[in-house]
Amino acid sequence: MSAPRWLDRMPAWPLYLAVLVAFPLLVYPNEVLFRWTGISIGGQLTYIFIYAILALGLNVVVGYTGILHLGIAAFFGIGAYVTGILTVPAYPFGVGFVAALVLSTGAAALAGILLGAPTLRLRGDYVAIVTLGFGEVTRFTLRNLEEITAGTRGLNPVPPPQLPAFLEPPLRLLGITPDWSLDYRLFYFLALGLLLVVIWLLHNLEDSRLGRAWMAIREDELAAACMGINASRVKLSAFALGCGLAGMAGCLYATVLASTAGPDAFDFNRSVLMLCCIILGGLGSLRGTLLGVLLLIGFDNVVAPVLDGFIQASGISSGDNRFLTFSNWKLMIFGLALILMMRFRPEGLLPSRQIEAEMHTPQPLTEETA
Amino acid sequence: MSLLELDKVTVRFGGLTAVEDVDCAVREREIYSIIGPNGAGKTTVFNVITGIYDPSSGQIRFRGRALERAFTWKVVAAAVAIGLATGLAAALLAVNVDALWRATIKRNYAGPGADFSYRAAIHDAWGYWQGALALEPMRGGRWAVRTADGRQTLAYAPSRDEAERTRESLRQLIDVARPGPIRSTTYLEERDGEFVIRNKDDTDDLATFDSAEDRQSALDRYRSLDRAAAARRRNAWLALLGGMVVGAAGTLAVWYRARRTPEVISLAGVARTFQNIRLFQNMSVLENVLVAMDRRLHGGVLRMAIRTPGIRRQEREARAKARELLDFVGLAHREQHLAANLAYGEQRRLEIARALATEPQVILLDEPAAGMNPAESSELNGLIEQIRDRGLAVLLIEHHMSVVMGISDRIAVLEYGTKIAEGTPEQVRTDPKVIAAYLGDEEVS
Repeated sequence: MSAPRWLDRMPAWPLYLAVLVAFPLLVYPNEVLFRWTGISIGGQLTYIFIYAILALGLNVVVGYTGILHLGIAAFFGIGAYVTGILTVPAYPFGVGFVAALVLSTGAAALAGILLGAPTLRLRGDYVAIVTLGFGEVTRFTLRNLEEITAGTRGLNPVPPPQLPAFLEPPLRLLGITPDWSLDYRLFYFLALGLLLVVIWLLHNLEDSRLGRAWMAIREDELAAACMGINASRVKLSAFALGCGLAGMAGCLYATVLASTAGPDAFDFNRSVLMLCCIILGGLGSLRGTLLGVLLLIGFDNVVAPVLDGFIQASGISSGDNRFLTFSNWKLMIFGLALILMMRFRPEGLLPSRQIEAEMHTPQPLTEETA
Repeated sequence: MSLLELDKVTVRFGGLTAVEDVDCAVREREIYSIIGPNGAGKTTVFNVITGIYDPSSGQIRFRGRALERAFTWKVVAAAVAIGLATGLAAALLAVNVDALWRATIKRNYAGPGADFSYRAAIHDAWGYWQGALALEPMRGGRWAVRTADGRQTLAYAPSRDEAERTRESLRQLIDVARPGPIRSTTYLEERDGEFVIRNKDDTDDLATFDSAEDRQSALDRYRSLDRAAAARRRNAWLALLGGMVVGAAGTLAVWYRARRTPEVISLAGVARTFQNIRLFQNMSVLENVLVAMDRRLHGGVLRMAIRTPGIRRQEREARAKARELLDFVGLAHREQHLAANLAYGEQRRLEIARALATEPQVILLDEPAAGMNPAESSELNGLIEQIRDRGLAVLLIEHHMSVVMGISDRIAVLEYGTKIAEGTPEQVRTDPKVIAAYLGDEEVS
């Protein structure tokens, strides 16, 4: 007996969302996992949500518009540091979380515009070099502006957001302690909520005039220009939006971490890791990007340390044998995964909807299923 | 009046002249064909019309005027704004933003809970610019008198009041040391074997030294402080001016280079298709057409992102219009397919639908019948005539003589970049020069 038809038609995302919402509320699963692995999966999921916002921003630039951006971490860092400067007690600004979120998003977008306006007229590879250079310049700037950014130490403590008083009773009802440092679930839901908003906005944009113009430029810039699309302006909008989202992710990152971390947290590796996420998941696809982040960051933050712990506990590795530490094989496994992907599934695990639609031709693509 | 006019248009690539002194004029509701052997420069004519190339000389006019982005106040405003932004950024770098931060924010803020006044911060920013001296608290209640950028410490004092006094006398000393004649209010003197700098109005000495050399070297030190501040101001001004000039000039240069881009020409009402099909391969057929309707849709990023009802309605209307165009070229049943997966003839027709979606007044078709079989190409004839009947002028490049001779109102013949004949199909067919170009010269013996 097969499943009823309505079940077939139902999209899968409400189910995933329900799991993500229920997981921390049920408390028990997280605690069991914590006892078993020594890692708070819920806490790590918060970071995965933040990186998902970052990857979605990068996906706007690389996936939709086809501009190879190798310096997204710089904008992530700009967001984190703007938040740090605006909120840490060492400086007199003491801005609230919402204002810091808006300002750091805006500042990163502005930085994107300043970088993009003169350089986006360049062709493909040159833009990649420019963004790569900007990423490094930003990192060194953050390090060398000792007075402002506290150099390699980073700015801290970044205070947690102020919880509106009316939210406290319902939170207690759900069993959540309204204290940011005691209960990871506040940040968990904050990051999840912002991620959902970003997904919704991008989903709308994907199917709008601007989204189509981005993709048209990716496909054929000259043809797009001949159809009346102002290529440099459209590319700049993608760049500003992508960098702005990166800044937003940076703000969240600094707030959850309660510190801006050092400038080296925003280095080239981070940019490449994010790029790997969206390539693995499928360029230009929202679902693919999310899956890519879940797999790669999840692997990086959860699987690798857990396996490390197991190896340690099982006593195979005696002390400092580097070959028997799983983390040291991490990059090897990343690389292998990407090579295999490129060979067998170059369009990514969950490619964008057009390619998807083409692979299952009989089912017509309507606005609802898109 | 002609719709589209080429006036002695020449295109050169280095030493190669691809198109030379071509004149032609397309009237409204006319099918005007350009034919000629391979390499005659036909596609170059299209590219120069649509702004992919600039003409080396000559003019292209559409409804009597050149299609260029106008020089408006917006260009000037953008140049000024970008110039200012660049200048300020450069100046900020020149004055050392890090030290400025220390002088304005950090010195005025004692820590959590302390007061912070933005007025004081701005005042200190001005002091920094002037090269003033600043006081900084040290450990153990001591105070240091430093240059505003914090680079040099000039003196220490046990209390704030003492530090204020020290600063005042140092300020006067720097004033004395400033190059030029010694001010009338201060003077140097020698008293009891001590070498003194004195202020006339003040009973106190500003400073005393053991020898004239010591005094001179102190004066030199203060003078160098003054000079450093002056140099920083000069550098900042230079950076500001230089940044402004570079920023404004860059904006104008970009405007100048972009004043005749394909998109300007497309927006004016000239659409085209490509000889080597250039569809948006990985987008659906419907989306290909929708992209070309970009100019017709309005609404900012934010409204698109939250999908307001206005935007929804606009989208629905655009989709309906796009479907109508697809129906017109006979692709309605393919709207959800990827453009890349269409058959060759269908791709050509999709290019036409896409070009029509920009609502042009003249459409440039570059070999639309290439690779079509006779049945398809006769269908195409009908389509081109229908396009003309929609009120458009059609400029056509084609090798299929059945298409060209069947539907053209007028034909121009290019050979080696020059126009060798123009006229009705009948005139062109019998023109000896055209026959010579296509079949070769008759051997005269």
